Amino acid sequence: MARLQEKVLTSNFNFKESPFKIKYRKYLHAAVDILSRLKKYPLAFVGLIVLVVYFLMAVFAPFLCPHDPAESNISIRLKPPIFLGGDWSNPLGTDSIGRDLLSRIIYGSRVSLLIGVITVSISVVVGSSLGAVAGYFHGRFDALLSRLADLLLAFPFLIFTIGAMAFMGPGFWNLIIALSFKSWVEFYRLVRGEMLSEKNKEYVEAAKALGQNDFTIILSEIMPNIFHSILVLATLRLGYLIVAEASLSFLGLGVPPEIPAWGSMIQSGKNHMMNAFWISTLPGMALVVLVLSINLLGEGLRDILDPRLRID
Amino acid sequence: MLQIRNLTSVFPTDSGMIKAVNGVDFHLKQGQIVGLVGESGCGKSATMLSILRLLPHPGKIIQGEVLFEGEDLLKKPLSEMRKIRGRKISMIFQDPMTTLNPVFKVGEQIRESMVIHGFFKKDGWNGFDFFRRRRKRKEIDKVISLMEEVGIPSADLRYYDYPHQFSGGMQQRALIAIALACNPRVILADEPTTALDVTIQAQILDLLRRINEEHGTGIILVTHDLGVAAEFCHEIAVMYAGRIVERSKTDDIIEDPKHPYTQGLLKSIPRIVKHKQKLYVIPGSVPDLLQMPPGCAFAPRCVYAIKKCKEKNVPLTEIEEGRYVRCINYI
Amino acid sequence: MKGIKILERILLAIPIMLGIAIIIFFFMRLTPGDPVDIMMGKAGMVSKAEIANLRKEFNLDKPLHIQLFLFLKGLLKFDLGKSFTKGMPVMELIKETLPATIELALFAMMFALIIAIPVGVISAVKQNSWIDRFAMAGSFFGISMPHFWLAIVAILIFSVKLNLLPTQGRISYGVELAHITGLYVFDSIVTGNLEALIDTLKHIILPAVSLGSAMAAIVARVMRSSMLEVLRQDYIVLARAKGLPEWLVITKHAVKNALIPTITVVGLQMGVLLGGNMIIETVFGWPGIGRMVVNAIFARDYPLVQGVVMFYAFVYITANLIVDIIYTVVNPKIQL
Repeated sequence: MARLQEKVLTSNFNFKESPFKIKYRKYLHAAVDILSRLKKYPLAFVGLIVLVVYFLMAVFAPFLCPHDPAESNISIRLKPPIFLGGDWSNPLGTDSIGRDLLSRIIYGSRVSLLIGVITVSISVVVGSSLGAVAGYFHGRFDALLSRLADLLLAFPFLIFTIGAMAFMGPGFWNLIIALSFKSWVEFYRLVRGEMLSEKNKEYVEAAKALGQNDFTIILSEIMPNIFHSILVLATLRLGYLIVAEASLSFLGLGVPPEIPAWGSMIQSGKNHMMNAFWISTLPGMALVVLVLSINLLGEGLRDILDPRLRID
Repeated sequence: MLQIRNLTSVFPTDSGMIKAVNGVDFHLKQGQIVGLVGESGCGKSATMLSILRLLPHPGKIIQGEVLFEGEDLLKKPLSEMRKIRGRKISMIFQDPMTTLNPVFKVGEQIRESMVIHGFFKKDGWNGFDFFRRRRKRKEIDKVISLMEEVGIPSADLRYYDYPHQFSGGMQQRALIAIALACNPRVILADEPTTALDVTIQAQILDLLRRINEEHGTGIILVTHDLGVAAEFCHEIAVMYAGRIVERSKTDDIIEDPKHPYTQGLLKSIPRIVKHKQKLYVIPGSVPDLLQMPPGCAFAPRCVYAIKKCKEKNVPLTEIEEGRYVRCINYI
Repeated sequence: MKGIKILERILLAIPIMLGIAIIIFFFMRLTPGDPVDIMMGKAGMVSKAEIANLRKEFNLDKPLHIQLFLFLKGLLKFDLGKSFTKGMPVMELIKETLPATIELALFAMMFALIIAIPVGVISAVKQNSWIDRFAMAGSFFGISMPHFWLAIVAILIFSVKLNLLPTQGRISYGVELAHITGLYVFDSIVTGNLEALIDTLKHIILPAVSLGSAMAAIVARVMRSSMLEVLRQDYIVLARAKGLPEWLVITKHAVKNALIPTITVVGLQMGVLLGGNMIIETVFGWPGIGRMVVNAIFARDYPLVQGVVMFYAFVYITANLIVDIIYTVVNPKIQL
């Protein structure tokens, strides 16, 4: 790692490169730097690895699954997993209508990660761009948006999302809209606050004196400096959003029932806790491990990059 | 009365032991004021905290003795130590803004000191709590008269104020009242005026001097300002990098400083003179306490340093009656 | 002077309430078609006249701004509309289910604070000891665990495997209890009904613990970090230099300071408590507001959902207002 870092850092820096390439290199430096510092936080590193494994699992789901997750076979319903006396054809057993649990759990990671990542991306893009503009220009637009942000923050997250889903009905995109509707505010507040404090610093003054326009200053001067705070917040929010998605699916308000999601799997197993507890506990474990590792990574990143950022 | 012998305190860190206090020897006689002078970071505050055994974690005292009224404080059990803190030896801290607890009324904080040391029991309180209100009233009156004594105006009203409602000078007076609450034998004043305005500094020092004269309280005054110490103390000990480098009567030190570091300090005191004169600056900087030179700690900055200085450390030696210097040139 | 500050806070909450009402109102209009269409679409076989009547009853025939005006006017009179499915005013339904929810929330909060504050204090005092590490690992788990998952695990262990505690409802069938306040634990204490007291306590343990543990986890962490911050302060050294015994230094001088930032976090956590309450009540069949609103969502009872969400927002804002006021009272630095 250290060698890679050295290589990137010492590669000759050419001022004639396009601004895009320079910017790109800045982020590359940051990424390599973060990775090498993560080594000191073994738990966060484990979190990162687990997260990568989940991502691979989600991407290659069709190749990993022994069965079609939707295929039901009543004759093998409630089959126990291998460690409770089941067999290898359904390593983690089957659910109440005989669907293979392992395949459903693997496919369930797709829903959780897709919804989490898409929502976080929307929130980051919307929240940071609005926050950047509001913080940098700090005018009427800022006043208006900040009022809206206060309003949205006056709602508890889950209640807002449940309410929104109640009116929009279950659905993949509906869920993303409902989650994003409030989630961008955190990023807005973060970036706006950072903008307010960064924009008076000397390097911004210098860029202004050089005659750069405002948007160039925001994008290529200030943003790289607050990038790490956004990264930390995004990681921590990802865990929270995955929990929110699972909670909604658990209530039957998330993705439609035909898509395998961990939350709805736990819900469907609830009625079989007496005789087949694995139906709800195994997807639950998958969820908890994912959320734990994301949070471990997030807290590690926070300790490294931005110790003063604390969201509760 | 208070005698410190070979006191050594360390702070273990990731990169090694920091010897904040390194074999410090000095003593305070009854009713005396001793100044402990040195640059910031030379271990003056750590010495004070070591005397009361209040070094913040992970600092610890590894050797030496602190003899108070014939007993070694370092060997006492903690419960005994608590009876001395605030009762026999109390301390005034550097920054009054952060030293008073923000959530308690100032008067209550002063009263607390008296209460924990059973100071009110003497006033005819027999252990039964029949007249709690009246007793409390009496206690409050006593605190108020103490507040008046340290120069807090309209003390009967100020008793009920919170610390942030006090100005810096008033906060320091309140802290002095806390230190004085149980009429201690010794007050350790750790840079009591550094955080204050110059005019208020003089008032606080006057107050301390009055306390010293009226109550016969011994005071150890820690300061980085040799001028203040010269004006105020009977004896001065100069500290450098955790060690005492010179110690003697104030007049001797001011008129005839022996140690090169003391000489440098004296030269660098700004004086009001007619001609603009460049201020003297001791060359170099304080050594890293993690990488102390083997010989005299001051040698790298010393104009008189000879080869031997860097090889061997010399002890604090009495060169004349009551004059102690740690320098090879005087042996 | 503090009075003015508090009054200012209360006045500031009013526009926020208004804004929330408007957001909820427009969210409801986001539904494709209008609620009556959707509701009746399922029932089928309803005459056009009936639909028109319903529209009129719910003011859906009037222009949007009039609807908004009527909605806000109703709110002023604490009129949250009328439930489609139950035919009762929403406010009545909330009143009916409120005690169950309050009881659960109170127990969850009590559990959280009673556990979290001492744990936070001890962890900070014994920083990096095994107690600290264990407590912080526990609170990390607590933060990462979804409410419903904790509830499921709790049911699995304490009911299914150990058969110790009931999993559904507030009181066993056949246990008699006079209803005075609707808070069953309180009622059974007041009436001296020991059987009912034990039974209701058994019922409330699992839901309260599952609901409160996330709050406990966060409060413990915040308490720990603010204690660590406070213990570094000069006034702690002064307290020691005064000769105070260590336990007094901690409990009197440190804890009171450390509680101030913690109070704010408790207020923010009220939101988590309210959201979790919907899920926990559903899992444990707890007859409170949360379960009612989840049922209402599936019954497409829009006025009820709208009313309850409005109510939740109101509770959340009020709770934070109360926390703000406590903060103002406790913190001597806020004076003007």
